[in-house]
Formats: sequence, structure tokens, C-alpha cells
Amino acid sequence: MNLDFSQMVPYIPFMLEGIWVTLKFVFFAIILGAIFGTLLALCKISHIKPLRWAADAYTSVFRGTPLILQLMIIYYAVPQLTGYDIDAFLAAILAFGLNSSAYISEIIRAGIQAVDKGQMEAAHALGIPYRAMMKDIILPQALKNILPALMNEFITLTKESAIVSTIGYLDLMRRAQVVGADLFRNFEPLLFVGVIYWCLVMGLTVIGRMFERRLKKSD
Amino acid sequence: MIKVEKLHKSFGNHEVLKDITTEIKKGQVVSIIGPSGSGKSTFLRCLNLLETPTSGTILIGGQNLMESKKDNQKIRQQIGMVFQHFHLFPHMTVLENLTYAPIKVKGEKKSVAEEKARVLLKRVGLSPKEKAYPSSLSGGQKQRVAIARALAMEPELMLFDEPTSALDPEMVKEVLDVMKDLAKSGMTMAVVTHEMGFAREVADRVLFLDHGVLVEEGNPVEFFNNPRTDRARDFLEKVL
Repeated sequence: MNLDFSQMVPYIPFMLEGIWVTLKFVFFAIILGAIFGTLLALCKISHIKPLRWAADAYTSVFRGTPLILQLMIIYYAVPQLTGYDIDAFLAAILAFGLNSSAYISEIIRAGIQAVDKGQMEAAHALGIPYRAMMKDIILPQALKNILPALMNEFITLTKESAIVSTIGYLDLMRRAQVVGADLFRNFEPLLFVGVIYWCLVMGLTVIGRMFERRLKKSD
Repeated sequence: MIKVEKLHKSFGNHEVLKDITTEIKKGQVVSIIGPSGSGKSTFLRCLNLLETPTSGTILIGGQNLMESKKDNQKIRQQIGMVFQHFHLFPHMTVLENLTYAPIKVKGEKKSVAEEKARVLLKRVGLSPKEKAYPSSLSGGQKQRVAIARALAMEPELMLFDEPTSALDPEMVKEVLDVMKDLAKSGMTMAVVTHEMGFAREVADRVLFLDHGVLVEEGNPVEFFNNPRTDRARDFLEKVL
């Protein structure tokens, strides 16, 4: 069998650096997706029709087109319109964050609507203002129900982040390709980053489980 | 305390409340009874605007609820409500359930709110449960916490929407006892109930609703012994 991991050894630090590069933009994309997704979800359950309509339209566009297309539009096409030369890091955060917010908003909307209506009535009856009610009463309960779905979304985002290799961003995936081209051997570097992705996802899974346990303490 | 004039409420084409005019005086305990679907819960929920009346006026302390949309929150703070299904906040401890609104809404200091909450918990007999979560309480205990939570806002009027209907029979008494105690302390109360015993013993006045109409009102002794209308007589024959 033609397998030789020893030739890859000098490249290992180069590839390991990719972990940090990938995590950095995934982290910001998740934050952007979570915040923007929550706002979109609140628009979707709002009584103000234009808000609802805009949020639904947004979701339909970002869920209805390929992520790689959105990434390419943001990185290659937007500079043509605006003249602003966007760097790959920012383009990646935007594409993944905006795309993910469409999915997250659906998850959160479902979560909010699954909270017993009586909770809102109790909050109204106590004179609790809307913002405080959402932040302290409805969203915490919604979060508990949707945590598994939310973790799923974060895991997907982490893995799909490999798509940024197509705009030349030096993430894990791209580094594996670079090493492969250098060595004329692809199997070893690809396998290597494959294991790293798996470890990252396992890490996320463990964090998610910990969170879930903490939220379950009131059961 | 609270005056209701010509109150109407429709859901779509279905008219649930028809031209209700009545009054609850300060310190009075009013029981609202009637067959299911008669609109008694809707009537109660109109009093703190959980349902928006279609027309009519509700005056609380001289202020018209229907005109002061902005002050809904202020008005609701003066009206406590207890629900059939408790609606405690499940992710908060019993003590947090009691202190959240006073701290958040009235700006009370945490230490002050907690002190008051402990007094209330003692009053409803649940002092040892302050650190418990609602899921570990029995139905009767939950409802007593819910009453304490409403009282923590120091309301001037308490609304009870079938507070014992979701309870196991052996837990009804502990909740009714708390309510009786509250009535004795001079609290103004409006109670939608199927507990005729409570209505007869504790209420100062009974309102009988049927098909959205306030058919009869009066003092409980008269109402239960000598109902003036056939509809009330029919109803009482079925439930007593």
C-alpha cells in the first residue's frame, strides 16, 4: 500500500495552524448567526407585518440558494459593485453568519412558539415589559428545547466551513490541499485534517452536552 | 374599585360577552359562576386586558382601561392574576418566581424583595420550598406559589381563573384555605370557580353568567337558596 506519513511531518505545524484559522472565523460566524438569527426570529413572531414579511423573505433567499454561491457573491461580486476590496476573512464570516442566521431563526422561532402560551400570559399579568419577558422568561425556556437543534447547526457550520477553501482562505481544508500539491500525495494530509475536523466536532458535542445538563437542573 | 359598563367581547363572529355591567367594590370578594362556555373566564381576562374587549368601558380607580393603552403595564401591576394551570416560571426557583417581577418591574432591591417573598411563602405555608423548582412541587403547592407570586406585586385586586380546577381533589382544600385567608385580610377578589362551597361561604356577591349574559347577581345566600331566574335554577340543580 502506498502510504507514507513520514513525508508529511514537516508540514504538520503548517496544517495545525489551520485549526486556529478555521476556528477564528467559525467563532465569529456563529456569534453573528446567533444574534442575527434571534433578531430574525423575533421579527417572525412579531405583530408588525412588514417585519414578518422581511424576515421570511430573508430566510427564503438564504436557505434557497447554495452557500458556496453566497460566499462567491460576497467575495468576488460585491467588490465589483462597491469597489470595496473585501478580505477573505470578513467575507467568510459574513457568508457563513448570514446563511446560518436564516437556519437559526427558524430553529428559535419554533422554540419560542413551543413555549407554553401561559408563560406569556403570566408575564403580562405581572406587568413585565416585552423585552424583559423575552430575555428572562421566554428565550431561556425556548433555548432549553432547541439546544440539540442549535448544536446541530453549529456542527454543520463548523464542517461546511471547509467551503472557504474555494476563495483561497487558508483554513484547514485549504492547507491540506496545499500540502497535497506540494508532496504529490493527497491521502495523508486529507486524512490528517479529517481527523482534526472530527475532533473539533466532538469538542462542540461535549460542550453542547454540558450546556444541556446545566439547563436541565430545573427538571 | 372596578366598574364595568356595557362590556362586549367577540371572537370573530362569535359574541362571547354581551353587554355586561357590574361593579366590584374595594374589599369585596366576588364569585363568578356559570356553565362552561358561558364567558366567565373571558370576562375575568378582560379585567386585566389579557383579552381586549370589543367595546365598553372598564374603570379602575377612575381610570378607563380601554383608553390608556400605554399604561397597560402599570394597570396590570395593580392586578394580580392566578391561572388554572399555575404558569409558574419553570426555570426559576420558587423564591425567584416571587421576586422576579418586583425586582424587574417595580425596581425593588433584591434583599427587600426576598424578605417580602419569604413572608408570603410563610403565609401560604411553603417556606421550606423556597429553593425548589416548580417541577418538584405538587399541584396544590404550585398554585399556592402562584398566589404568592401574584401577591408579591402588592396588587389591589386579585383575579382567580378557576384556581382549583386542575388540582387533584385532595389538594383543593389547601388552595381554598389560602384564598379564604386572603379574603379575610380584606383583599378585593374576583374568582371564577366551580367550587360552589367557596362561592357560598366566602363570596360577598355572586355573578351568574350564561351564554355571555350576566343573568343574575346578588348575595350568595339569596342566590343559592332562592335563584330568581330559571337559568340560574337549572344550573344550580345540576351542580349542587
